Amino acid sequence: MSALRILVVDDDPVTRELVIKKLRQADYDEVETAENGVMAADLIKKDYYDVVLTDLMMPGGVDGIGVLEAAKQKSNRTEVIVMTAFGSIENAVEAMKKGAADYLQKPLNFDELFIKLTKINNMKRLMEDAGDLREAMDITEKNASQTIQELEMTVSRLQDEMSAIRQILSKADVDAETRINMALEALTLR
Amino acid sequence: MIKITPDEIKLLSKYIYDISGISLDQTKTYLFETRLGPLLEEEGLSSYSELYNKARTDPAKAIERKIVDAISTNETLFFRDRGPFEVLQHKILPDLIDARSAKSSGRLSIPIRIWSAACSTGQEIYSIAIILKELLPDMSKYNIRLLGTDISDAAIAQASQGVYNKFEIERGLPPDILHKYFSPNSGNWKVKDEIRAMAVFRKLNLMLPFQALGKFDIVFCRNVAIYFNMEDRKRLFERIADILEPDGYLIIGSTESLTGVCPKFEPHRHIRSIYYQLKKSKGDKP
Repeated sequence: MSALRILVVDDDPVTRELVIKKLRQADYDEVETAENGVMAADLIKKDYYDVVLTDLMMPGGVDGIGVLEAAKQKSNRTEVIVMTAFGSIENAVEAMKKGAADYLQKPLNFDELFIKLTKINNMKRLMEDAGDLREAMDITEKNASQTIQELEMTVSRLQDEMSAIRQILSKADVDAETRINMALEALTLR
Repeated sequence: MIKITPDEIKLLSKYIYDISGISLDQTKTYLFETRLGPLLEEEGLSSYSELYNKARTDPAKAIERKIVDAISTNETLFFRDRGPFEVLQHKILPDLIDARSAKSSGRLSIPIRIWSAACSTGQEIYSIAIILKELLPDMSKYNIRLLGTDISDAAIAQASQGVYNKFEIERGLPPDILHKYFSPNSGNWKVKDEIRAMAVFRKLNLMLPFQALGKFDIVFCRNVAIYFNMEDRKRLFERIADILEPDGYLIIGSTESLTGVCPKFEPHRHIRSIYYQLKKSKGDKP
């Protein structure tokens, strides 16, 4: 079973069913479908998907680019693969400029799709590992910074106290006992 | 990977210190090999001594620049360590604007000059620019100057382009801020012109004089002095003190300290973070 959560968006029911069947056969169990861009945008708003596999040309108010934008708006971590009809690569290139991870030409070559999904899955794991390390580092840095900042403020306060006591003790016009008493009083006040 | 010898480490440590002020721990063999190894391959060289000799004799200093690019740590992210940015947003900028507004009496635009002394690939200065945009609804009332400097040509070039890949973007930037201030750019993200136009970038070696940059209200000098030896660190913060306005602010890395480094500064705490200001001499007004 793959850990990827996938949304398949296509207005053609045959393509949708075929993609779902092939994905499930390849142990991609968390797969949902949407039959148009509007439905896809709704699902993306409600849920997180690791991958959105969307047709570019769809009827209705939201096409593949709209789905891409909705996915990226929700989370930059969602990878979008666009499906495009044979001979319309310029649309796919346009989608990639807007943040799509990759594109596939129809009719789909499923080996190609699985290679792309494996790459995305590997990258996701790397990102998670890097995220864990970063989090551990952040916690360590945060703890260290709190200690250092406490020390910084304490040292600064002690330096001020020392400076005030030095001033008191160097008063030439006051006798030694009074100076000591004044210094002790200054320490007590702090 | 080609191994570096102890003699080569000594040679290169001294050379890197001379050209950049970066004081490398000579016991960290892996640091030399992982950072400079790829450069050896790129130049088709068979030893680190050859790299040293080529760098020394290259009149165009191209190898020198590549060594600095490779060795200077470019670890940075947007809003790295939120504390300093919260202090900037909630304490320093409001106080500074109050102070400068009182001086300008509403006649002139209010100057705000901020220097990111080791800006790396620009994330810090753009984070500051975003905070200014979010905080100040009417930017025309202010004369804002944001300067980012770094010793690495490669870092400055990327900062100036303002293009970041998804890994760089994902670290630290909330999605709403990302979409508001960045545009997709062929699989990457590019900082929008309104933010890019606020900042100026230039190459600068902090070991060399920088008084010509003028005075600043706020200086960010985070996580760079840790690569300098104590004497150079002292000199650096003394010189930063000289270019800071008397009521200006200094922010250093959250795990750095100025104790025993520069007595001209005193720390102030705001919530979870510390910022520094110049100590007031007895004659100064409160």
